[in-house]
Amino acid sequence: MRDATTCDVAIIGGGIVGCMIARELSRYRLKVVLVEKEAEVGFGTTKTNSGIIHPGHHTTLDTLKGRLVVKGNQLYDTLQAELGFGFRRIGELVVARTEEEVGVLREMEELAHQKGVPVEMWDQARLRREEPNLSRELIAALFAPTAGVINPYELAFATIESAVLNGVELWVDALVTAIDPVDGGLRVTTRDGELTAHTVVNAAGVFSDRVAAMVGADTFRILPRKGEEYMLDGRLKGLVRRLVFPVPNKVSKGTLIIPTYDGTIMVGPTAIDTDDRHDVSTSPEGARQIFDLVRGLCPSISERDTISEFAGLRAASDTGDFIIGRTAVPGFYNAAGIQSPGLTAAPAIALYLIQQMGEDGLALVEKERWEPQVEHPVRFAQRSVEEQRALVEADPAHGRVVCRCELVTEAEVRAAIAHGARTVDGVKFRTRTGMGRCQGGFCTTRVMELLQEELDIPFHSLTKRGGGSWMVTPMGEEA
Amino acid sequence: MSTENYVCIACPIGCPLELVHEGDQIVDVSGNKCVRGAKYARQEFTDPRRTFSTTVPIEGSNWARLPVKLAAPVPKDRILEAAQAVHQLRVQAPIRMGEVLARDLLGLDGVNVVATRSLGRA
Amino acid sequence: MFGRMNRRYDTVVVGGGPAGMGAALGALDAGAGKVLVLERDGEAGGILNQCIHAGFGLQYFREELTGPEYAERFLAQVIDRDIDVMPSSYVTGLAVDSEGTKQVRVLNERAGLASIEAASVVLAMGCRERTRGSIRIPGTRPAGVLTAGLAQKLVNQKGYLPGKRVAILGSGDIGLIMARRLTLEGAEVVGVFELMPYSNGLNRNVVQCLDDYDIPMHLSTTVVEIHGRDRLEAITVAPVDAHLQPQLDKARKVPCDTLLLSIGLIPDNELARQIGIQLDPVTGGPVVSSTLETSLPGVFACGNVLHVHDVVDYVTAESLRAGGFAGEWSREIRRPKDSIQLVPGNNVRYCVPHTLSPDREHTVFMRVKQRVEPARLRVGGLMEKTLRFVIPAEMISLKIQPEMLDRFHGDRLTIDIDPA
Ligand SMILES: Cc1cc2nc3c(=O)[nH]c(=O)nc-3n(C[C@H](O)[C@H](O)[C@H](O)COP(=O)(O)OP(=O)(O)OC[C@H]3O[C@@H](n4cnc5c(N)ncnc54)[C@H](O)[C@@H]3O)c2cc1C
Ligand SMILES: Cc1cc2nc3c(=O)[nH]c(=O)nc-3n(C[C@H](O)[C@H](O)[C@H](O)COP(=O)(O)OP(=O)(O)OC[C@H]3O[C@@H](n4cnc5c(N)ncnc54)[C@H](O)[C@@H]3O)c2cc1C
Ligand code: SF4
Repeated sequence: MRDATTCDVAIIGGGIVGCMIARELSRYRLKVVLVEKEAEVGFGTTKTNSGIIHPGHHTTLDTLKGRLVVKGNQLYDTLQAELGFGFRRIGELVVARTEEEVGVLREMEELAHQKGVPVEMWDQARLRREEPNLSRELIAALFAPTAGVINPYELAFATIESAVLNGVELWVDALVTAIDPVDGGLRVTTRDGELTAHTVVNAAGVFSDRVAAMVGADTFRILPRKGEEYMLDGRLKGLVRRLVFPVPNKVSKGTLIIPTYDGTIMVGPTAIDTDDRHDVSTSPEGARQIFDLVRGLCPSISERDTISEFAGLRAASDTGDFIIGRTAVPGFYNAAGIQSPGLTAAPAIALYLIQQMGEDGLALVEKERWEPQVEHPVRFAQRSVEEQRALVEADPAHGRVVCRCELVTEAEVRAAIAHGARTVDGVKFRTRTGMGRCQGGFCTTRVMELLQEELDIPFHSLTKRGGGSWMVTPMGEEA
Repeated sequence: MSTENYVCIACPIGCPLELVHEGDQIVDVSGNKCVRGAKYARQEFTDPRRTFSTTVPIEGSNWARLPVKLAAPVPKDRILEAAQAVHQLRVQAPIRMGEVLARDLLGLDGVNVVATRSLGRA
Repeated sequence: MFGRMNRRYDTVVVGGGPAGMGAALGALDAGAGKVLVLERDGEAGGILNQCIHAGFGLQYFREELTGPEYAERFLAQVIDRDIDVMPSSYVTGLAVDSEGTKQVRVLNERAGLASIEAASVVLAMGCRERTRGSIRIPGTRPAGVLTAGLAQKLVNQKGYLPGKRVAILGSGDIGLIMARRLTLEGAEVVGVFELMPYSNGLNRNVVQCLDDYDIPMHLSTTVVEIHGRDRLEAITVAPVDAHLQPQLDKARKVPCDTLLLSIGLIPDNELARQIGIQLDPVTGGPVVSSTLETSLPGVFACGNVLHVHDVVDYVTAESLRAGGFAGEWSREIRRPKDSIQLVPGNNVRYCVPHTLSPDREHTVFMRVKQRVEPARLRVGGLMEKTLRFVIPAEMISLKIQPEMLDRFHGDRLTIDIDPA
């Protein structure tokens, strides 16, 4: 338990939204604490999504999300230069099969012009030349070059690292259980101690209505919508080079082909309403839906190539839009209902919210020194042979391979732990250990040994992702 | 006359064995491809025994556990008891493969615990 | 000896498991002067180091050894013969220059990223396990779902249990052996669930690993859902119909905190794929000639990287041969090109090697698609043999004599295994 403490701003929830707000606030002379219920940040919806930085022409201008998405997209180049997460603008194609669908593309083109999103109409010949493995039945496509793919967990880790570097305090394993108005602000009770804050930001994702209810600011409800995603074998790398969406309609539900930042092809997501806020299970129906649809776009994709699968929950609100800003409770702000494209919009959400907080009197005095950069993680596998040679020379731990499927070195794993990884998944999402085709069969024990060594905790106390996710138990005589 | 059916476990082939007996008296064994199968069936009928491998904690090595085996089989119904007895052992590196770590486990003649690899000092 | 490494070798072997060590010995026996074994792990031995149970070496050493004993004895021979063994050395690439010399790129903490020249190379990287993703079990993704091989490593090398109440999906030998191992260490094994109507493991393992401990095996049954948020809490299992489709109306929930997957092995062929070696989509290993040479001249393959073997003795026999041919290659001995294509016919899933030559005796390894009891094996019109039974899990080994091939004038030889 931590000692009770006070701060200017408490942020509840360490998803990408909470992390971005924390980092933006770290520019100012404020004491900011971010509280997260999981063992690490980004373990909610932020690590289980499609990882697309949307160009912004799928949503109209009359919603908050429709406006913030375009702004968010534009902020990503600077962010990447500062934070060094995996991000690349690979471009997006919305593909049409019929003349009627081409009509929809034209409407999207029009909307894109209105919103200032660059797009280009491709005919069949161009489409075949650029993406020869797509179905021969497709007749046209709308190309949007500003669409990007990102490793969202890397983004969350780097963002919080930057925030912490600039003075933000991070509490993990700190589930917020109550918020009460007290003298001088709001008292936030967590599993790891109490904290009194002048201003509280609710960025609790699918639980944001529950958190709002703790102070009676629950003017909305979250209706979680599940999305399943399927990762395909690395052998298929390069099959499709851009994001490929079918023309949006009732059946497609946003399912698409995603050549992820690391090149692995992913297909998904589904969109299924659920009332269980922990339900991140995958289902045979989900798989069927996705693969049926995707085969129509790219016939050589098969379910048999799946190497892993996961599901995430979109925090869709009953208003249908993002819920960002002040509430009836003084000092309590929402950044709630951040469903898709929340990842894209997150940097813009932070700016939008902080502006309001400033208008309401939060003193936004810039620090003399604010460090935008964090040390960028070294990805051994992505380096040239010459660079690899130099890396091993400088640090022999680069000469010891931990994960052979993804060629991750011991130096990378140690660095990940030094930069905040505390769990097996924390290492995995920072370095890719266990993400390849053997799914950790070879490297899990080594990763655990390194965690044990660096964090000085017993082997059997290590977890997959915190909480009750224990990995091993001692044998008889030691139990 | 009655028959017992076994699967020979003496080698990976796993011959299906048939043992014919008259009370305690073994009359015939068939199905075996080699003599070890006949021997196994007789043993299994009169006094079924098993060996097993396990590990014991080792100190002073880079490894946490030393793999060991039993040099002779124990009665089948005493396997778990024998395993527990082996797990009480503690050893110190260095160890050589073949080293006997304990003799006559559970007082059973020849049931020695033998190291199945060498482990040097860390 | 350990840790010494030159820049040029006659034969370089990638992987220091039984296949790699066998290949090194084979190469030396065939006259290669300098042989190097590169092993990724901290010691040679491969997967044998974690297979502490007995059942290895009946053919090669004529006694039943445990995995570590087999590895240690083999390594002693290798070192005795002055073969260089470099542990902690991970091969990241392979290139061939215009003269046909191979450049093996290896990562080692002391040598850095080094390049080693070799006249011939033997691939012996072993295999990996199939995972949850490859069979797509729906449900949540808690801790506690792991492959049997990872569990084996945790128990035998680290001394920890993967859990206390364990279910096993798949009846492969590693899973069966782990059922006994976990029971001996005090865990409760609630059952083995196998999709097929028969066990995929050896009968002896069903007897001595399950029956002896009253662990039930549920045939024609599979896991249809995984439950639990942080840690596995239960699985739902269901019987399957004749088309292997689960009958969900007969599903039941089995509480457990651990699910081991023992659902098969796949050759670990990233390196081969990277350099464009032709692979057989059925075996997952390289296509090889009768000298176990891959489509890249002077590069040979053996052991589990070529096709998954069930017993290590077969691996050793095969790798001694592969090493022998690699050793010959380094001395610039070239065998005549194979003239006969070996074709898997009725009920034959694959055969290795893929081609034969009438100039010498061959050992052909093959697997069937379906269980047949009894079975008749036919090699073209050349020979016939009755087998008591054949199952996909048990590899069949067949010797083909040169006299027989002499009588054969075609270029495609088909092997069929039909009901007798
Ligand atoms: C399948 C799927 C695909 C998607 N694809 C895209 C995409 O391609 N592009 C895009 O832009 N967006 C996408 N999204 C949306 C995007 O992932 C989300 O909008 C974004 O991650 C939301 O971030 P967040 O911080 O609001 O939520 P979260 O990441 O869920 O963070 C909320 C955090 O609050 C914590 N928390 C909750 N309650 C408490 C409490 N009481 N106390 C303390 N902590 C608490 C949680 O543990 C969690 O870490 C997708 C979403 C899904 C589900
Ligand atoms: C988990 C598991 C359990 C098994 N249990 C049994 C059993 O009980 N009984 C049985 O008879 N068979 C068992 N087998 C099959 C067994 O693997 C074979 O009998 C035999 O060990 C195969 O020998 P190998 O040398 O081909 O492969 P391995 O023993 O796997 O050796 C391959 C070696 O290559 C190394 N390597 C791989 N890639 C590289 C690289 N790029 N650079 C350098 N080195 C590399 C690996 O680290 C490894 O040491 C098991 C297999 C597995 C995977
Ligand atoms: S009888 Fe002989 S050949 Fe048959 S399983 Fe027993 S030991 Fe093997």
